[in-house]
Amino acid sequence: MRSHFAHEIPFIQHRRQLLGLSVVLVALAVVGLVARGLVFGIEFQGGTEIDFTNTGSVTIAQMRDALSDAGEKDASVQTTVSDAKSGFLVRTGTTDPSTANRHAAAAAKALGLTSENYTVTTIGPDWGSDVTRSSALAFCIAIALIIAFVSVRYEFKMSITAVVALLHDLVITLGVYAWTQTPITPNVVAALLTIMGYSLYDTVVEFNRVNENAKQLRDGVHRTFHQITNFSINEVIVRTINTTITAVVPVICMLALGGSTLKDFAFAMLVGELLGTYSSFAVASPLLSIWKTSEKKWKRLEEKYGWDAVDTPSEPVAAKDAE
Amino acid sequence: MAREKKNSESLSGVDRWNATEGAARPKAARKGRRGRKSDPRRRRYASTLVVLLAVLVACVVAFTPVGEKITQGLDIRGGVSVIMTASKPDGSAPSADDMATATTIVQNRVNSLGASETTVQKQGDKSILIQIPGATDANQAIKTIGQTGLLEFVRLDEIGDADALAKINAGTEDVKLKSGTYTPFMTGSHIDSVQVGQSGNSLSGDYAVNIKLDGTGSRKFADVTGELAPTNGRIAIVLDGVVKSAPAVQSKISGGEVSITGKFTLKEAQSLKTVLDSGSLPVTLKYSESRVVGPTLGQDSLTQGVVAIAVGVAIVVVYLFVFYRGLGLLTLGSLAVFGIVYLGILAALSHFGLFALTLPGLAGVVLTTGSAADSSILVLERFREEIRMGRGVRAASVSGAKHGIMTSLDADAVQLVTALALFLFAIGSVKGFGLTLALGIACDVITMFCFKAPALRLLALGTIERHPVFWGVDQDLAEAKRRQDAQAKKGGVRNA
Repeated sequence: MRSHFAHEIPFIQHRRQLLGLSVVLVALAVVGLVARGLVFGIEFQGGTEIDFTNTGSVTIAQMRDALSDAGEKDASVQTTVSDAKSGFLVRTGTTDPSTANRHAAAAAKALGLTSENYTVTTIGPDWGSDVTRSSALAFCIAIALIIAFVSVRYEFKMSITAVVALLHDLVITLGVYAWTQTPITPNVVAALLTIMGYSLYDTVVEFNRVNENAKQLRDGVHRTFHQITNFSINEVIVRTINTTITAVVPVICMLALGGSTLKDFAFAMLVGELLGTYSSFAVASPLLSIWKTSEKKWKRLEEKYGWDAVDTPSEPVAAKDAE
Repeated sequence: MAREKKNSESLSGVDRWNATEGAARPKAARKGRRGRKSDPRRRRYASTLVVLLAVLVACVVAFTPVGEKITQGLDIRGGVSVIMTASKPDGSAPSADDMATATTIVQNRVNSLGASETTVQKQGDKSILIQIPGATDANQAIKTIGQTGLLEFVRLDEIGDADALAKINAGTEDVKLKSGTYTPFMTGSHIDSVQVGQSGNSLSGDYAVNIKLDGTGSRKFADVTGELAPTNGRIAIVLDGVVKSAPAVQSKISGGEVSITGKFTLKEAQSLKTVLDSGSLPVTLKYSESRVVGPTLGQDSLTQGVVAIAVGVAIVVVYLFVFYRGLGLLTLGSLAVFGIVYLGILAALSHFGLFALTLPGLAGVVLTTGSAADSSILVLERFREEIRMGRGVRAASVSGAKHGIMTSLDADAVQLVTALALFLFAIGSVKGFGLTLALGIACDVITMFCFKAPALRLLALGTIERHPVFWGVDQDLAEAKRRQDAQAKKGGVRNA
C-alpha cells in the first residue's frame, strides 16, 4: 500500500514539534480565556440586538448619536459588511421588546432608514437562563452519545485520545472566540457541536486505519508503531484533505457572502473544521502512537528499529519493504 | 492505448479481453455491450437507477416552484416572531389548562391585528410562540400581544356610535367600538371566576356561562341589571374594544352570581368563557424572545445563503473534477440527486405544515451538502484504493462502494446523534438547524444506496475499464501493476 505521494510526509517524526505547537495554542487560548473572557450573545443573558443593513453613508458616530437620542445610551455599536453593503450591529441591555423596537424605529427614522433595513431581536432576562440550560443539556448529551458511540465501535485507548484531541479543539476554539471577542450564541454552540462530532469521527477513521495496519504488519516486519501510524496517516491524508476542502469551501462562501446569522454559523464551523482536521493527525495520532509505544511489545520494536535508534535511511524504503 | 493495454494485464483474462477490445475497436465494443444486456447485475443496477429517477421526478414536481412549496420561516419572510413565557403569580408551574386558555387569548389578540397567516402555538411546557409574517407595524403588534386584555361591560344604551349599535342589534359578530363612544360601567377586574355549566333547564342540553363577581362588581351589576331588567335591556361584553357578546338582562342580579344563557353549544360557551377570562389571565405572560425582521432583509439573507451554497458547490464540483476526473461526474450526480431528494422532503414537510426554512436551517443545509460531497469522496477513495491493491475494476466497485458506504454511515451516525440532540433538547431557533441537519443526513443515506453504489458499479461494468484515463483510474491501475511486478520479483512473499 502506498499513499498518493511519492514520499511519506513525516508527521510522527515531527510529533514533538506538532504537540509543542498544540501546547502553545492551548496555552494562548487559556490566556485569552482568562485575560479577555468570553462574550455571550444576548440569547444567553437577555438584551437587544439591532442589525442595521444597507445603511449607505451613515457613520458609526451618527449611529451612536441617533441611538443615544432615541434613548439607548449604552449601546455597543459595531460596523458590519454584508453583500458589499455596510451596516451596523447594535447591542443594548434593553429587555422589553416594545421599548427596544420604539428606540430602533426612532434611530432609523433619524438616520433616514426604512423599517425594511433592520432586524430587532430582544431576549427577555429569564429566557437566557432557559436557553443556556437547554444548550448545555444538548451539548452534554450529544458529546456523551458520540463518545459512547466511538467507544462501542472502536478501541478504548482510541476513544480516550480522540476525546483529548476533542478537548484540545474545544479549548482552542473558545480561545479564538475570547481573543476575537466574537459573541457566542446558541447557533455557535450548535455549529461547534456538529463540527466537533464530525472531526472526532475523522480521528476515528484514522485510528481505524492504524489499527488495521498494526494487525497486518505485526509479525516479521520490522516496523515500529510510530512508523505504522505515520504510514497510516499518509494513507488517509488525501481523503482528509479532500473532505476538509469540500466541507470548508461552502463554509467559507457562507462566511464571505452570508448575512449575520449565517456568518455566526460559518465562523464557528470554519474554526472547528480546521482545528478538527489538524488535531486528528497532529494531536490524536501522535498521542495514540506515543501511548501505544509505551506498551512492552512496541517499545522493544521502537528501541531496535525506531527512527531514533538506528540511522534508518529514508522512510519510503521501509514502506516498500512492508508490502 | 499502449498504456491501457499494459494496465489491463493485471486483470483477469476476460476483463483484459473486454478492455483491449473496447480500446482498440469501439464498434465491436458497442456490439459487445448490447450482447451483455442480459447481465443480471447490470439489470439490477439499472433498475435501481430507474426507480430512483421516478422518485426524483416526483420530488421535482413536489417542490416546483421552490419559493412557494417550501415554507419560509419568519427570519426569511420578514415579520414579527415572539416567544412569551407564562408564569403563575404564586410561582407554581402553569397547568395545561392555563396554557390552553392563555394560548387562545393570545390568538384572539393576534387576530385583532388583522394580519393573515399568523401562527400562535404552545412551545414546550410554558411558552407560546407567536408569528406574524410581514407585519408592517411591529410596534403595534408587540404592544397588542403583550397587553392584558381589557374586558369591559357596557350598557347598550350608553354606546354613542349609532352605526355600531345598529350592527349589534342586527346580530353582527365582533363589532368594533371606537374608544370614547362608550362608557363601561364595570371592567373585567371584578370577575372572580368563570365557569361553563349546563343551563338551568338542563332538558334542552344548552350550556350557560356562570360568572362570579367580587363585592364591588356585584353591587355595580345589581344596580345596572336593576335598571335594565324591566325593558330587557342589553349589556355588551367588550374585549379590547370589540363586542364579543351582548346578552339581554332578564332580571335584577344582586348576588354577584351572573349566568349568561342563550342557546349556547359547549363550544360557544367555552369561547365566551375565554373572552371573560381575558380580563383576568390565568397566568402572567412575559416576553422571552422577540425578533422583528424587515421583509426585504430576510429575503436578502436567503439570497445570500443560496448564492453561498451555489458558489460553494460549484467550487467543490470543479475541484473534484480536477482531482477525480471522470469520476467527478459521479459526485456531481450524487449532489444533484441529494439536492432534489432534499428539496422534495422539505416540500412534503412544508405541505403538512411541519417545516419552515429558517436561517439556522439554511446553515444546516450548507453543512450537510458538505457531508454529502464527503461521502462521495469516501466511496471514490476506497474504490481507487482497492484498484491499487490489485483488485479488478468491477470487484473494486462492489467492495469499494460497500466499504465506503460503511464508513459514511458511521460518519452520518455521529452527525445524526448531534442533530437529534439539538432538535430534541435545544430551544429556540437552533431546533431548525438540528432538523435540516437530520433530514440532510437521511438524504445522504438515500443517495448512497440508490445512486452512488449502483451508478459506480454500472460504470465499472464497462466504461471505466475501457477509458481509465477519462475516469482517472489509470494511475491506480499502473500502481497495481507495479506492485504485482515487485511481488513477482520477490517471489510473492505477501499477498497484500
